[in-house]
Amino acid sequence: MRARKFGFALSLLLALGMALLNNWQSPAQERQSGALLTGIIYDRQGQPVFNALVSLISAGGNPIEQSNTQQDGRYALEIPNPLPDGLLLSIERAHFHSMELPLQDEVQAELEQGGIVALADLTLVRRVDIGFWIATLIFIAVLILIASNVLHNTLAALLGAALLFLVSYLGAAISERLFIFDFEGALHYVDWNVIFLIMGMMIVIAVVERTGIFQWLAFMAYRISRGRIWLLLLILMIITGVASAFLDNVTTMLLMTPITIEIALSLGINPLALLIPQVFASNVVGISTLVGTPTNILIGSYANISFNDFLINLTPGVLLALVGLMIYSQLVYRKSLQAQTGDGISEILLQKLEERAIITETEHLKKAGWVGLGMLILFVTGENFHLLPSVTALIGATALLVWIRPDIEEMIEAVDWTTLVFFITLFICVGAIQEVGLISFIADGIARLVGENLVLAMLAIIWLGAILSTVIANIPFTAAMLPVIAFLTKGIPGAESKVLFYCLSVGSAMGGNGSLIGASANMVTAGISERAGYSITYAYFLKKGFPALLITVGLASVWLLIRFL
Amino acid sequence: MPGIVCAIRGGASSLPTIQKAIDLAKETGQQIHFLYVVNLDFLVATGRSRTHTIAHEMREMGEFILLKTQITAEREGVKAQGVVREGQVRKEIIEFSKEIEADYIVLGFPRGEGREDVFDHERLDEFSRQIESETGAKAVFPEE
Repeated sequence: MRARKFGFALSLLLALGMALLNNWQSPAQERQSGALLTGIIYDRQGQPVFNALVSLISAGGNPIEQSNTQQDGRYALEIPNPLPDGLLLSIERAHFHSMELPLQDEVQAELEQGGIVALADLTLVRRVDIGFWIATLIFIAVLILIASNVLHNTLAALLGAALLFLVSYLGAAISERLFIFDFEGALHYVDWNVIFLIMGMMIVIAVVERTGIFQWLAFMAYRISRGRIWLLLLILMIITGVASAFLDNVTTMLLMTPITIEIALSLGINPLALLIPQVFASNVVGISTLVGTPTNILIGSYANISFNDFLINLTPGVLLALVGLMIYSQLVYRKSLQAQTGDGISEILLQKLEERAIITETEHLKKAGWVGLGMLILFVTGENFHLLPSVTALIGATALLVWIRPDIEEMIEAVDWTTLVFFITLFICVGAIQEVGLISFIADGIARLVGENLVLAMLAIIWLGAILSTVIANIPFTAAMLPVIAFLTKGIPGAESKVLFYCLSVGSAMGGNGSLIGASANMVTAGISERAGYSITYAYFLKKGFPALLITVGLASVWLLIRFL
Repeated sequence: MPGIVCAIRGGASSLPTIQKAIDLAKETGQQIHFLYVVNLDFLVATGRSRTHTIAHEMREMGEFILLKTQITAEREGVKAQGVVREGQVRKEIIEFSKEIEADYIVLGFPRGEGREDVFDHERLDEFSRQIESETGAKAVFPEE
């Protein structure tokens, strides 16, 4: 028995050795001429086609040389010597019609002389097959599951990704038309810059949120306003907005809502008169920086828009929208802001408020301040030395952890892994509809509607984004729209400034103010407020939020038109 | 330490419940234990990783709401204290009532039907029976 096993192992080793030897010899046996045949393959929307199999085929139908296209759609085929006549160039790619074209005599002659020949760009035409419909249905199902709250966002996206793989791997065994993409192909669509940027910022936020700075700032707002509630509202909106520009909106509202309720109770006013304008401000001002909202992180990473670009091109519009929002909030809540109950117990409550509004971790806050400043400098200057924002966030988070030395387990737990898994699986789901061509068809449709009219395209993206964001989650919407916007940017004169990406940012984020389910920050605020006995219903939020959407999106649209036309 | 347990959330909807507890305390001469339960179920859809920080903030908010309620009660000459617990509302009310061997539990009327932490009429009846059998305390409601 042992001898048989030994014999088997020896045979295996010999076979392996032979195979290696064979491979070792093959380059020498192949006599390469040094000639190269290169080119780029695009789809009909002008996007490079990645991973297409390009083959040089002999007249007898045998492949002589093969290569796959790179991310930029380029291929390069090494040409053997001697070169047989009647060669064909064949291109195959899942979800596209295959293409074959004969090599022209002059091309062949140049290759025989050992030259490098760059062929004209080639365009592959999309093929709609069963894989297209399956990927589309899975994506729509994920959107519905998220919007209807039937499944947790992450579970819905995870389910979508798992189904896509199941169809691709098991279904493809039945029919190759069921193939959508393999695991490697799916990972190609995951934007790791986004994942690491969010992760780094989560660690920084976890340190900052425990210092008590938010509670202290809110109390200072009360102090500065000296009982003038209209002023208190403005200061709270500014604090919330500025915090949201650097931290995520959900965290900002999680921390600001309880203390705001306490201030309102102390003053004897309805907390909703402060909370609703605050959450509006959070959704609006959040988009003024690259790191303020997940949608901006997605947009910035995809379109290579830097921290500075957001500051220059969006912040003035955001400030304009904030001013509009402040005026609107004062008008809408003017009665509530004056309706102090004056029951004489507020002094005791204020004393309690003062006791609580202290910075609990002064040293940590100082260190976080220095690290935050360093990160800000790197975010602003990083583009000069090709420093990705995700790297800055990771450096900042690590520096803070090393300097403060908190309980590392606790800090890692503070990272919202559920959200990160959501992003990864969402990228895969969006990648699938991109892979099968749905995004290209949508892009084609929008392009046909807006033609080459930049103003029309801007307004369509802003308002479509804003209205859709009131009913569907803005993160999957933004992720799906990015390749569409990239296509429109290429085709519309004047859009090279990436203006359409800023329009998407404004629409998808400010649209969140239109309904209670439009933004996670709204839901969190409603959840806490409900637990203090102040319910924010869907209808109530819609009544206050939709006009806020019209005002802020309108003002931001005016700014973008002025800035880019 | 027998007394009256009054579970509240704050806001206008809790006012009748608070008043009922105060009236009952005046009638029986017992102390009121206002109870606020921190329930973080709403974080399920938004981010569990924030639980540590938000639980602390919600406790602080609960203490604040209870302080306001205590002051109201004490102004009417009733002894009151506030207790903040974390968990499921039903379970915490029963646990706390058992701990202090409460004689009465004052419950509010429905708001936000269909939610786990709010009682509709049917669930309220069922819950009051459960309370009375598990704690021995009498369930009391404000007039509608």
